Amino acid sequence: MLDSLLTAMGILFTFSGVIYLILGVLIGLVFGAIPGLGGTTAIALLLPLTFGLEPWEAITMIGGVMGATTFGGSITAILLNTPGVAPNAATCFDGYPMARQGKAGIAIGAAAAASTLGGIIGVVVLVITLPIARNVVLMFGPPEFFLLALLGLTAIAASTGGDTLVRGLITAGFGLLMSFVGYDDVSGGTRFTMGIDYLWDGVQLVPALIGLFAIAEMLNLSVKGGKVANVEALPINGVGEGILSVLRNYPTLLRGSVIGTIVGAIPGVGGTVAAFLAYSVARQVSKEPESFGKGNVIGVIAPESANNAKDGGSLIPTLAFGIPGSAEMAIFLGVLVLHGLTPGPMLLLRHEATIFSLILALLASCIVASLIGIAMTRFLTRITLVNVYILVPAVISVALVGAYALHASLGDVVMAALFGVIGYFMIRFGWPRISLVIALVLGGLAERSYHQAMTISKGDPTVFLSRTVSVVLVILILAALIAPYAKTILSWTRRGATAR
Amino acid sequence: MTLKSLCASAVLAVSMIAASGSANAAFPEKDIQFIIPYGPGGGFDRAVRAIAPFLEKHLPNKVNVLPVNTPGAGGRRGAATVYRAAPDGYTIGIFNMPGFLLPAILGEETGYDLRKVTWLGRVEANDYVLLVNSKSDIKSLDDVKAVKNATFLSTAWGSTVLAASQIVADALGLKDATFVTGYPSTSDYQVGLVRGDGLLAVAPIESVYEFIESGDLRPIASTGKNELLPNVPAFSELNYPALDSLNLERLVGAPPALPDDVKAVLEDALAKTLADPEFLAAAQEAKMVLRPLPGVEAGARVTASIDVYDHYKPVLGKPAE
Repeated sequence: MLDSLLTAMGILFTFSGVIYLILGVLIGLVFGAIPGLGGTTAIALLLPLTFGLEPWEAITMIGGVMGATTFGGSITAILLNTPGVAPNAATCFDGYPMARQGKAGIAIGAAAAASTLGGIIGVVVLVITLPIARNVVLMFGPPEFFLLALLGLTAIAASTGGDTLVRGLITAGFGLLMSFVGYDDVSGGTRFTMGIDYLWDGVQLVPALIGLFAIAEMLNLSVKGGKVANVEALPINGVGEGILSVLRNYPTLLRGSVIGTIVGAIPGVGGTVAAFLAYSVARQVSKEPESFGKGNVIGVIAPESANNAKDGGSLIPTLAFGIPGSAEMAIFLGVLVLHGLTPGPMLLLRHEATIFSLILALLASCIVASLIGIAMTRFLTRITLVNVYILVPAVISVALVGAYALHASLGDVVMAALFGVIGYFMIRFGWPRISLVIALVLGGLAERSYHQAMTISKGDPTVFLSRTVSVVLVILILAALIAPYAKTILSWTRRGATAR
Repeated sequence: MTLKSLCASAVLAVSMIAASGSANAAFPEKDIQFIIPYGPGGGFDRAVRAIAPFLEKHLPNKVNVLPVNTPGAGGRRGAATVYRAAPDGYTIGIFNMPGFLLPAILGEETGYDLRKVTWLGRVEANDYVLLVNSKSDIKSLDDVKAVKNATFLSTAWGSTVLAASQIVADALGLKDATFVTGYPSTSDYQVGLVRGDGLLAVAPIESVYEFIESGDLRPIASTGKNELLPNVPAFSELNYPALDSLNLERLVGAPPALPDDVKAVLEDALAKTLADPEFLAAAQEAKMVLRPLPGVEAGARVTASIDVYDHYKPVLGKPAE
């Protein structure tokens, strides 16, 4: 094993290795930042181009892309309230208010450091889990997937607390409804497609996200006018403070990274849920939860560490059985196939050096991407000073092109535009959008896993309590539902005690 | 007739002759689109990207063959794109048999008719293998037949794997078999089998060979003798010859009513590609299972498949709730 590691390092630390890495990082940053594109599109577009490359060259470049996209996306999330990729959606909550307060530099610095350290922790967890990776993957079957999806959904309900709880549940319900549109894999037949061919595949997440966040936000901004930043003078030295804040808040960093790695390991769930769960947990355990959503830097650290840690996590099922843990990993496996490496249970055994190349490229990419981002912070924060009348049409056109670029389908563009309008009205009237997105992401998984679990157990509902993992998940779900009320109950009893 | 109208009709006549001449003479004159009805990274994508450069090499004139991913609706979007394209030879595509056949058998709208597609040739053919978990007591086909309440794992409803599973279950007399469908990909239900979600699964040999090699899964029988699994009996050797007709084929097709001369050029280039030693080396690297057939035979395979699956239509109903 050690010599494979040394071989991989020897490949990476050559002139051409570094060039391919930086190329991948730059592509990842740009595709990550532009709303609607993203790592999956980048790798899909690069795939045919890698045909003529050596396997290690392709892998180094793609590792570079994977590690950089979520940091690139965090920049747009912070500066424009528009997640570059889905996992950055939670970063908007506190990153954008920070930009409005003129603290964009601090936010970007925090995102950079959180991304780097989160990515590193993700890889460390991956390496530690490798010996038991197979067992870990085997522990999660359809009943456990259903419970995980349910846990993700309860986290929405629990964290949009207070007066937005009901609205959060309603929009989540709407998201679930939309997740059921399309061809039903379990029992056949199309649902809610109204005879439109495009809807056969259901409501696609990326166009919905582009509409709900990018376009809606631009519509909102153009109605308000002016500029993003409310303050005239921008403090430029925020970056250093941002980095330090991550080190000071290391519990958040660790929690976020671990959540990111675990959730990233679950195929089909991915970075969006990981980032949002990390954010919710950070808010729940904070001593001042009301400060979240108003520019609390912890609200940037938590999701950004999670959405980078997920890359390490998504390699766990890939290395154990050849099942991609994320959409990007799925296309990456396609690249491997193209170069004659077969994904499967023997991948790690047969091609150790190649896998270590990928892991090293991922690690290096987290670091390099953040360095490039930090170097450009001064330039980037100026975007918050650009007038809305230039910014809005530019972002909307790029977003719509991004929607089309995905599958060369006009249906995606129409979908993005529709969601843009819906999203605008949601912003206007104060209805949370993130719960819709989480429900859209998890609805299909929840339904399919439920049906599979019931078919496997032949209708016996105790299948959801049959393994240790499932029992743990049920406990976590109950905890997530009770937690917001636990604090209230505790303060009542305390008040009762002092009153006597 | 005036001089003017005489000249006009002469020009018209000459241009018509020239136009009809050029329709035959110079195909191909511009780039050809090779449609892949799935997203990048899968087996079909890999096959087309391996073939395209060699097709360019063996076509007359210097044109490009451009792989175009057109995913959606389980492959139907890409198939319909090829079917509806102009029959001028500039759009061809790769087809999944029996994948693209099943929707019609199951009574769904498709937007194409496989009987009318102009078939240019077959590229690959994969046999299926029946699998169990290595830890299970089932070691032979007779053991499988003795199982009560067999559970098969498969991918989505309407997939070729589910159809194959239903046909195998019916042929083996497993009356009370249940089918757990909906696993997103082949690897997922292989892991499901290892985990114990079910007892049995049917899968294309090339997709699951790794799981057999690693010792996780045990092959019981296959739909044809295969070099990768020399010790595994074919169904025909175990008195189920009908099951050997099940397999997964990749065929190249063009829109209906393609002119014969254009078809000849394309068919010829494809045949030369599939015999080109450089291509064979690339295919070997990409782990393709080449079983080439020329256009006419490929078309015959399609008709034969339609008959087979039509015959099994009653068995391919919805899995029991």
